[in-house]
Amino acid sequence: MNRSKKQASIFSGVTLAALAAVVLMPLLLPSATLATEILIFALAALGCNLLLGYTGLLSFGQAIFFGGGAYVASLTMIHLGFGLLGALFAAMIAGAALAALVGLLAIRRTGIYFVMLTLAFTQMAYFLAYTLSDWTGGDNGLLDVPRPPLTLFGFEISDLTSSYAFYTFVAVMFMLIFVFARRVIHSPFGTTLVAIRENEGRASAVGFSTNHFKLLAFVISGGITGIAGALYAMLLNFAPLSNIELLMSENILIMTIIGGTGSLLGSLLGAGSIVMLGDLLSSVWPRWMIILGIALIAVVLFMPSGLWGGVESLIKRWKERRSGGSEKAAKEAEAK
Amino acid sequence: MQVTTWKKLLSVAVLSATTAVCSAEEVTIYGVKSLSGSFASYGKFADMGSKLAVEEYGDLLGSPVKYEAIDTEGNAGKAVRKVQEAISQDGALFFNGATLSSTALAIGKEVDKAGGVFMTPAGADELTGTDCNMATFRWSVPTYGAIHETVEPLIKAHPEWKRWYTITPQYVFGEALLENAKEVFAAQGVEHVGNSYHSLQEQEFSGYLTNAMAAKPDVLLLLNFGGQSSNALRQAVNFGLKNEMKILVAWSSGLDQLQELGPDVAEGVYFGAQYWHTVDTPMNNELVKRVREAYDMAPNYPMAADYIGTKVILDAIAKAGSTDGAAVAKALEGSVYQGPTGEETVRAADHQVLKDYYLLEGKAASEMQDEDDFAEIISSGESFPDESSLDCTRS
Repeated sequence: MNRSKKQASIFSGVTLAALAAVVLMPLLLPSATLATEILIFALAALGCNLLLGYTGLLSFGQAIFFGGGAYVASLTMIHLGFGLLGALFAAMIAGAALAALVGLLAIRRTGIYFVMLTLAFTQMAYFLAYTLSDWTGGDNGLLDVPRPPLTLFGFEISDLTSSYAFYTFVAVMFMLIFVFARRVIHSPFGTTLVAIRENEGRASAVGFSTNHFKLLAFVISGGITGIAGALYAMLLNFAPLSNIELLMSENILIMTIIGGTGSLLGSLLGAGSIVMLGDLLSSVWPRWMIILGIALIAVVLFMPSGLWGGVESLIKRWKERRSGGSEKAAKEAEAK
Repeated sequence: MQVTTWKKLLSVAVLSATTAVCSAEEVTIYGVKSLSGSFASYGKFADMGSKLAVEEYGDLLGSPVKYEAIDTEGNAGKAVRKVQEAISQDGALFFNGATLSSTALAIGKEVDKAGGVFMTPAGADELTGTDCNMATFRWSVPTYGAIHETVEPLIKAHPEWKRWYTITPQYVFGEALLENAKEVFAAQGVEHVGNSYHSLQEQEFSGYLTNAMAAKPDVLLLLNFGGQSSNALRQAVNFGLKNEMKILVAWSSGLDQLQELGPDVAEGVYFGAQYWHTVDTPMNNELVKRVREAYDMAPNYPMAADYIGTKVILDAIAKAGSTDGAAVAKALEGSVYQGPTGEETVRAADHQVLKDYYLLEGKAASEMQDEDDFAEIISSGESFPDESSLDCTRS
């Protein structure tokens, strides 16, 4: 009983593994900025995973929430003098509100029509950001985005100017959101989302208002992705238009799928693989995207649960072999 | 006893080696290039230009110059993050390149914060305008010069071409070209009979070309660039527009674009260009020779732009006698040097390089003297806004 309680705790297992990865990344990677970028995209993939992995919704709308969060955080800091946490809160609300708007219309349809609707919304958002250049900077991007110091109750905790200080802040944000996402998944709400993913008709037949659940999943996903967008703008001191284009949605989806849908740690693995692959290979081979395509095909065909699924099955096999080995040894001892 | 002597000798050797290394300031130039992604074909030539400039420079401040390429992956966000990394990890100060305006603007801000120097050939007028700073210098002629050195000479040479139609990408750069074109039209007394806006993602121009045909202009002025201007031009030629009107591409990328279009499309079409390999200046003749030796080809715009961009930073470091970013920026301000387009001047007020812009006319295949002889230079000159009208308010 104690063992099952321990396994169910949201602070154990994969949470500890995520914490270990977050602590080791700046030590093992070439720079803290690269590690920060990985964590930011892991957050975006985590938001996407709640939709794709746990609710079964393939959304191309993630760039709207990512870009929207980046713009709202930047504009509130530049024009309204918001501090770090205020801007992040504004970005979360913006991401969630945009997700509610997109979700409200998109979840009326299922399957390919749902996907097409999210795609159309992303194109609309891109052109809106492109047209409102007085606010977004248009194609040139929004420049001079500040990275305010971290203050709590009037006390400055860190100025966040060094790359390691900002990494630490992003790491804390990542872990908080990771634990929150695990809490959501392990709640009755989370299990209902999985029920909807497995068989929406049956979930509806037993009395769940599936559209409400799907909309709430959208809102949570949008809020998390909005925070990721805001952190990215603070990292770069700049909000490029590419944040809100279709390619961003594609990248977030690829990270989620390669890492493993239905696994929060997979989001970190997926984001880490894609960002590092680009960083390492782009200077060696200009056509490195071909490798990305091959990796995606390989994962979809041979590892439907993604890289994390592959890691899990390796661990399982190793455990089985070990237990098999010890059973055999016990039998041999008995025979002797 | 013997061990102690060896230790002493070793420490003396290490000390003298360290002193020798420390006395020479090692200079590293960081080339910000699109080596992968959508603009990889441009970035490849830009990288070749920077490498050549570094290779032939030899020693600077007592040690050989180093070159490190930073791949932007055609993505402004990636570019900024990698530049931040180079600054914080390696203490990088000297940067050259960046094709995309968004990338160049954001990198300029980062390099300025680090107190370095950044030379770019990017197109956005904000680089030397509203977003100018101590670190950023721009080699390419702004939209003002590109329009004044292409539209004006054509109007003067052909006063009978009274009706002009424009096709414009609807964003800051396109708007700047259009505004300048309208001013020239008004000043020269020609009629602007219409304009079609298109988005930055547009690749199909038949609708805009049909509108242009309906307006019956004497000249069709294409204000888009890169793949969009090539596609618009190809489609215009397919529609037979070359027989009905003259076509001017105000902002071409020069030789690589004409190689891509071929003489059948380019014949009789006018192109504005930042650089052309047949320009007869001492430095350009030398550059053409060196590029032929090194790469067995004629230099094109990205190669020439990043070659000279890298070289002038190295010259400024030599002039300043140190790797202090502020001192190098000061050395660059107001400097006059022999560049590919002749005598070039770095204007101190906005860090804009004052140089020629070219108007070319595409040749027929039968007129080409060699495989790169796609066009002849019709006119060239310098046109820049007055210092009094600059938007640059650098503190």
